Amino acid sequence: MEAKITESQKRKMTNPVIQFFRFIYLSLKILFIVEGGHGGTRNRE
Amino acid sequence: MSKIVVLGAGISGHVAAAHLRRKLSKQHQIIVVSPNSNYQWIPSNIWVGVGRMKSESILFPLAPLYKRKNIGFIQAKAIEFHPEGDDNTDKPYVTCEYVAGANKGESEKVTYDYLINATGPKLNFEATEGLIPGKNKTYSVCTYTHANHAWKGLSELIQEMKNGKTARILIGTGHGQSTCQGAAFEYILNVEQELRKHKVRDKAEITWISNEYELGDFGMDGMMLSYGKGAMKSSEMVQMVFEERGIKWILGSAVQKVEEGLAHYETLEGEFKTEVFDFAMLIPSFSGHGFKSFDRNGIENTEKLFRGFMIVDADYTKKPYEEWSVQDWPETYQNPSYDNIFAPGIAFAPPHAISKPRVSKNGTPISPAPPRTGMPSGITAKLVADNIIDMIKHNNKKLNHKGSLGNMGAACIASAGFGMMDGSGVSITTFPIVPDYKKYPDTQGRKLGKTFGEIGLAGHWLKLALHYAFIYKAKMKPFWWLIPE
Ligand SMILES: Cc1cc2nc3c(=O)[nH]c(=O)nc-3n(C[C@H](O)[C@H](O)[C@H](O)COP(=O)(O)OP(=O)(O)OC[C@H]3O[C@@H](n4cnc5c(N)ncnc54)[C@H](O)[C@@H]3O)c2cc1C
Repeated sequence: MEAKITESQKRKMTNPVIQFFRFIYLSLKILFIVEGGHGGTRNRE
Repeated sequence: MSKIVVLGAGISGHVAAAHLRRKLSKQHQIIVVSPNSNYQWIPSNIWVGVGRMKSESILFPLAPLYKRKNIGFIQAKAIEFHPEGDDNTDKPYVTCEYVAGANKGESEKVTYDYLINATGPKLNFEATEGLIPGKNKTYSVCTYTHANHAWKGLSELIQEMKNGKTARILIGTGHGQSTCQGAAFEYILNVEQELRKHKVRDKAEITWISNEYELGDFGMDGMMLSYGKGAMKSSEMVQMVFEERGIKWILGSAVQKVEEGLAHYETLEGEFKTEVFDFAMLIPSFSGHGFKSFDRNGIENTEKLFRGFMIVDADYTKKPYEEWSVQDWPETYQNPSYDNIFAPGIAFAPPHAISKPRVSKNGTPISPAPPRTGMPSGITAKLVADNIIDMIKHNNKKLNHKGSLGNMGAACIASAGFGMMDGSGVSITTFPIVPDYKKYPDTQGRKLGKTFGEIGLAGHWLKLALHYAFIYKAKMKPFWWLIPE
């Protein structure tokens, strides 16, 4: 459990330009995961 | 003509009613029964609780919308279920009690052909002595009224801190089996940021108290997340965030009694301890509403419909944690005794928890109940609506629309502070929601990549975008149905 937020990570997390592209990326990724389909589990085995 | 009655106008009830209305012709009747006159977008209560949003911006009145959309609305609460009718009527019905207007206090039999029970949870504050929102310096953000109280309490404390007071803030779960840790996680980070904005952060000790065994369990048995170019456990991620924000934590604890500024709790080690606070936000346990059901002859048959929450097509056989599987989780949310009754969202009885159950040395259960967040609530409501539509249109008893929490993804965009330029969010997605340890044995039951975590300003924008998108959708504005659940 040694993970720490480094200064350079912190700069990326707060940089509006980088974050704008992360926003687009995250929106699409979440759309893909949530809309990627769902179904049952019982007939697949 | 079919009559579909939807109990509850929260995320799942409203989604179901909206889809039914859109896809069924006017000859079919859709009626929503709910005690609250407003729709509220609950996830944004976090921001109401830190004074960054007014409750008016997260709610709107249901009656005018339903009138415009030709959805019937009864402002009442369901009390009793009569799924076989009674001596006087063959039609199944629900007894509802009006909570407003001229008929307040009167009850009515609301008959149905199909019933969707989307009544969500009862916020069971009574299960923890002294845990009363707005009393004993404890607050809640579970409803907009609670969140308003919370902000009032917090802003008064901030004023006192500006005058030199040092304060202790306690946020987390208020019962050994509470769920919804995610909401408390968001709130603690927002409160922390608010104190920084008001320049009183150095005057406060902020502590997370939770029934989780590890940080980042979230009632979902924790997660292995893709993070940056590698992978990270959710426990590590939350620890990293708490350390960064100077937040302390107490884990494996069951708050059992609250007195003015004191939270008494039991730990997994069996010790009884007390935490002192000036402001606390503790999520209560959730329970069913205590509904009763009766057969045609008036004999109680509640056990056919409820085990706390509503019984659906889950496998409720008691088994140890090691034998739990995704197949235990429901797929259609249909009651096995009455095939015209469904329960999406939080209203259905889960087969068991998701997190490993634990008891203290004294035998007290201390582990989270399973959460059912907004996205799965919406998705399960939509698939229930689609199955009912198939039943009505094609007389199809076979339910083709399925969605197990063991085969469904969800996103949890946790606000970590409000602000267009200085806000932050912890974006987490999981697939599946219920871990499938057989399918993904090496990654804690989840698919890496589809299960990921990210921290940054983009998370705040995303949560804000979702706020506006889901309120737009809930208001059923043009093309609302294009916005996914
Ligand atoms: C503070 C907070 C923050 C959250 N943040 C997020 C988040 O960021 N993302 C996320 O995905 N999820 C979040 N959630 C969880 C999300 O709000 C729930 O998953 C969702 O509201 C569940 O929807 P539901 O329709 O099943 O229940 P509810 O939304 O609770 O709706 C239940 C409805 O039933 C009505 N009702 C109650 N009793 C009766 C009765 N007797 N008769 C008729 N109607 C009745 C209620 O008035 C209400 O309209 C959060 C929850 C909280 C408390």
